[in-house]
Amino acid sequence: MAQISFAHSCLLYASAVFLLCFQIAEVAALSVHGLKTLVVYDKRVTDLEDYSKFFNDLNKRSYELQFSSVNENVSDIQLFRGEERLFDNLIVFPVKSRQVSKGFTAATLLKFFEEGGDILTVTSPYGLTESVRTFLNQLGIFPSPRNHELRDYFEEGNTTSIHFSSSGTLNPTVFSPMKSANLSYEGSAALLDNRDLLIPIFSAPRTSFTKDPKGGDDWTVGLQGYTVVGFQNLHNARVSWVGSDKFFGNSHYNDNGEFVQELAKWTFREKAVIKSTGFKHKHIDGTSYDELPYKVKDSITYEIGFSEWNGKTWIPFNASDIQFELKMIDPYYRLKLLPVRKSEEAQYYSTGNFMLPDHHGVFTFLTEYQRSGLSFVTEKDVKSIRHLANDEYPRSWDITNSWVYLTSICSVIMAWILFVILYISSSSAMNVPAEKKIN
Amino acid sequence: MPEAKSYNLQWLQILLKTAIFLAITGAAVSSRLFSVIRFESIIHEFDPWFNFRATKYLVSNGFYKFLNYFDDRTWYPLGRVTGGTLYPGLMTTSAAIWHALRHIGLPIDIRNICVLFAPAFSGITAWATYHFTCEIKDSSAGLLAAAFIAIAPGYISRSVAGSYDNEAIAITLLMVTFMFWIKAMKTGSIMHSTFAALFYFYMVSAWGGYVFITNLIPLHVFILLLMGRYSTKLYSAYTTWYAIGTIASMQIPFVGFLPIRSNDHMAALGVFGLIQIVALGSFVKSQVSWEKFKTVMVLSLLLLIAVGVSGLFVLTYFGYIAPWTGRFYSLWDTNYAKIHIPIIASVSEHQPTAWPSFFFDTQFLIWLFPAGVFLLFLELKDEHVFVIAYSVLCSYFAGVMVRLMLTLTPIICVCAAVTVSKLFDEYLDFSFLCKKGSSEGVSLRDRTLTFITRVTVCGSMLFYLYLFVYHCTWVTSNAYSSPSVVLPSRNPDGSPALIDDFREAYYWLRMNTAEDAKVAAWWDYGYQIGGMADRTTLVDNNTWNNTHIAIVGKAMSSPQDKAYEILKAHDVDYVLVIYGGLIGFSGDDLNKFLWMVRISEGIWPEEIKERDYFTPNGEYRMDAAASQTMKDSLMYKLSYYRFPSLFNGVEGVDRIRNQRIRQEDIGELDYFEEVFTSENWIVRLYKLKNPDHLGRDLRAVGDFDRNTVKGLKKRSVKKPNLDPRV
Repeated sequence: MAQISFAHSCLLYASAVFLLCFQIAEVAALSVHGLKTLVVYDKRVTDLEDYSKFFNDLNKRSYELQFSSVNENVSDIQLFRGEERLFDNLIVFPVKSRQVSKGFTAATLLKFFEEGGDILTVTSPYGLTESVRTFLNQLGIFPSPRNHELRDYFEEGNTTSIHFSSSGTLNPTVFSPMKSANLSYEGSAALLDNRDLLIPIFSAPRTSFTKDPKGGDDWTVGLQGYTVVGFQNLHNARVSWVGSDKFFGNSHYNDNGEFVQELAKWTFREKAVIKSTGFKHKHIDGTSYDELPYKVKDSITYEIGFSEWNGKTWIPFNASDIQFELKMIDPYYRLKLLPVRKSEEAQYYSTGNFMLPDHHGVFTFLTEYQRSGLSFVTEKDVKSIRHLANDEYPRSWDITNSWVYLTSICSVIMAWILFVILYISSSSAMNVPAEKKIN
Repeated sequence: MPEAKSYNLQWLQILLKTAIFLAITGAAVSSRLFSVIRFESIIHEFDPWFNFRATKYLVSNGFYKFLNYFDDRTWYPLGRVTGGTLYPGLMTTSAAIWHALRHIGLPIDIRNICVLFAPAFSGITAWATYHFTCEIKDSSAGLLAAAFIAIAPGYISRSVAGSYDNEAIAITLLMVTFMFWIKAMKTGSIMHSTFAALFYFYMVSAWGGYVFITNLIPLHVFILLLMGRYSTKLYSAYTTWYAIGTIASMQIPFVGFLPIRSNDHMAALGVFGLIQIVALGSFVKSQVSWEKFKTVMVLSLLLLIAVGVSGLFVLTYFGYIAPWTGRFYSLWDTNYAKIHIPIIASVSEHQPTAWPSFFFDTQFLIWLFPAGVFLLFLELKDEHVFVIAYSVLCSYFAGVMVRLMLTLTPIICVCAAVTVSKLFDEYLDFSFLCKKGSSEGVSLRDRTLTFITRVTVCGSMLFYLYLFVYHCTWVTSNAYSSPSVVLPSRNPDGSPALIDDFREAYYWLRMNTAEDAKVAAWWDYGYQIGGMADRTTLVDNNTWNNTHIAIVGKAMSSPQDKAYEILKAHDVDYVLVIYGGLIGFSGDDLNKFLWMVRISEGIWPEEIKERDYFTPNGEYRMDAAASQTMKDSLMYKLSYYRFPSLFNGVEGVDRIRNQRIRQEDIGELDYFEEVFTSENWIVRLYKLKNPDHLGRDLRAVGDFDRNTVKGLKKRSVKKPNLDPRV
């Protein structure tokens, strides 16, 4: 429950931030949260000029980018000032050095992520700093170590330059291409564990593997290696990892540009962000729980609204796989929510009328919509369903079976009265044979 | 006390009786006020807290809502149909008193009414016992019995101020019912027997122990029938009582159809049938000759017994009559509960009584009791049969279960009063001194000797009575007046001190947690958490659902990761444990822990095994020698978490179990965080941590955080051992 309340509060927080941004600068409202972004890079591996197209696109979408290289003023790279989170987003380019700074450790990255900061991590076989690796490992992403390269001997020409089609995406929510493009990728691949929160976006080609050219074991083989991976935590913050810095480079931008932008949009929550606009459940005649608490076998209806962020505003969110659960430890009902009405902002879904189970107890009215790639929505309400009160059962004469008993009761009463009357009226005539007793 | 002839003497007698009664009531009430004086006006123990909460609900919501009260703050998430599963007599009585007092312009806080309820009713008990004993012997025995019951510790144990329990009113009603029954049986008066039935109904509405009356009165009638003492008086008394009493008792929702469906009530029904047959038989007997009657009787008896017994078996077999309940079996076989229903055996008041407690609870009455029974045997009137049946049955039951001492106490008082008054009848008679010269044969020497004997006997009896009063006062003030919510203790310098950890912790819960927070604790504390902390509990002292209790027991006996899963599935936010190892409070959860294990083993024998919690030598230990299962269990960890830090950080000394607890055995607590520990560490509260936002298990999170703090870094990067992703 705590998890849910956390997710809920995170959602609230996110929407509060959003509202704030909305009021301050309507134009800037691209993401559901702020756009203040820190870019951490290493001058030794990264020349920012090579990525100008990528950053220009971000700038065009009014991101406030702040570039910090790890080569000078390392102490400037601070994600927090005291308890306050300084940035909304973080982009980490490959960093060659083992350590960056005290303000940029795996623990601070985890904290940044936990508190709702989105992170785009780019690593390369030559730039994978310890803090980023530890951070990714905690997420269940295990990028290949230093010097390991993704290779594919079926590639023509350079075997380290991998090509795969953008239509092979593993998660259409994060990215579904307008037209298929051939993405070029050069770098490392990662192993993933089986966590549900991981969102694989592209796997390495079937014929590829990751290995240190100097020898050693394979790190990944074939489809078990992944090149682009997303992750969304329970607070709906997102991380994505790409094992190739050249992937973002200007040279490949014609091919990769569309995907890279979509990935950035997903990571920084410009898209695939949904929320619930609130739920309502009530008796079918419209009386609410507060006016008349539920009792067993009452007919009620449940309605919930869903909105999706389209980059400018909240629009109705359409889906056909949202479910409602009425549960008390185990679900008593699992009902498909069907669209009923629409407002400008939200699509409303309803269970229609249904009858509460013939079982009293404290039930949870739960809508849990957690789909890989979309933000998680959990709406939960704990309400008790009482038993029938003593006067809410049908009266005995309403039950036809009881008529035979009622008749017998009545007849006994009548017979008794009759007997008493007869006895009293005839007692004077009766002769008590007192002397008959012999023994 | 023989009725005086002269008018003036009669007045004097009435005056004296009134004075004596006032004194008895005064003694009864004042000795029960020790708890208020020593501690404060507070509801005691566990069950009273529920009764108090239910009474408050009744007072603020009215009877209709109370009758249909569905409590969603206990037994989460099942809830409890409280209105239909309680005995409403106690609550309705105190609510009636509250309303009545308010009506006459005396608005009194409902808590004070509840606290002073039991002392007030003890006065009425004394009055009922007086009348009961009057029927058995005479009014002098009655006055003695009233005085005894007023201060006997066996009854006081459940009726001190603050002990707002069903028994507080039930013993009063028990005695009133019996009083009316004896009167009805003696006179055949329908009015008295209707009163007996009405008070029986009141008793049914107040305490589950009404089954005792349901069985004792039929037993009395049955014995009388066997003794050939059938009379029309008995017939009219019993049939009236049974018909009205049964129909009335079925109006209590919790009882419902039990009187015609449960085996516990079958005796009453059977005797009701039997007395009809006997009535018919005696009618036939009066009409026909003896020889004819004999054959008719033998044949019909055989037929009836066959039909009756086979009918009972068939009905029980097909489930029309509920089989005997577990509590009933445990009355006959003291080991039954321990094997089959650990939840019943785990209650301390269901344990067999130790011999000293008989003396402790009734002092010299206990040895006068058999004498009284013997004296009644000598006379053996119809009503004496009742007292004898009561004594024999209850002596047995009191030996089986401590709590049934309570029902034995009244009859002990009655029998002892019969003995004492008989003794005084014989020996307190000094009239021979005045009859000078009337009897020539009695010499001065004989008279002197008689005088000395009588003075010795009366003097020693008076001394015993004095000792009795002294003992009762001492026991009441020292043993039975502690509210058990607040524990008495002594400072190092010997001055009295109070340990108030329970209320401290409950108050913390009340002020610092969400209103709908769910607290998991062993069921003993359910009512207190509900009453004092006002938080939702999983299980409480009602113990109606063994499986639900076993769930909590399983969580407490499992390693923390499993326990976390179980508790999360039940939406638990906090876990409360009682730990007495620091202050020396022996009633803590670790001492009850084996019951948790046993109860959950009853449901999940594959997962929880009692043997695993003992050392290989079969010892129940907490120190380095404890078994790994014990060290892993949640109860162990929650009890001892941070405990060694009070000592040297390595090893702590548990004062209850006299064992050294090592830090390395306690280990890390990754799934729970400590939020509150009371002053003397008696109550410890833990919060369930939120699930990790990254989906890691919490142990991994804990390990990661500890390594980060230590600054451990992996130098070489090894390929992780992962399952293939599908």
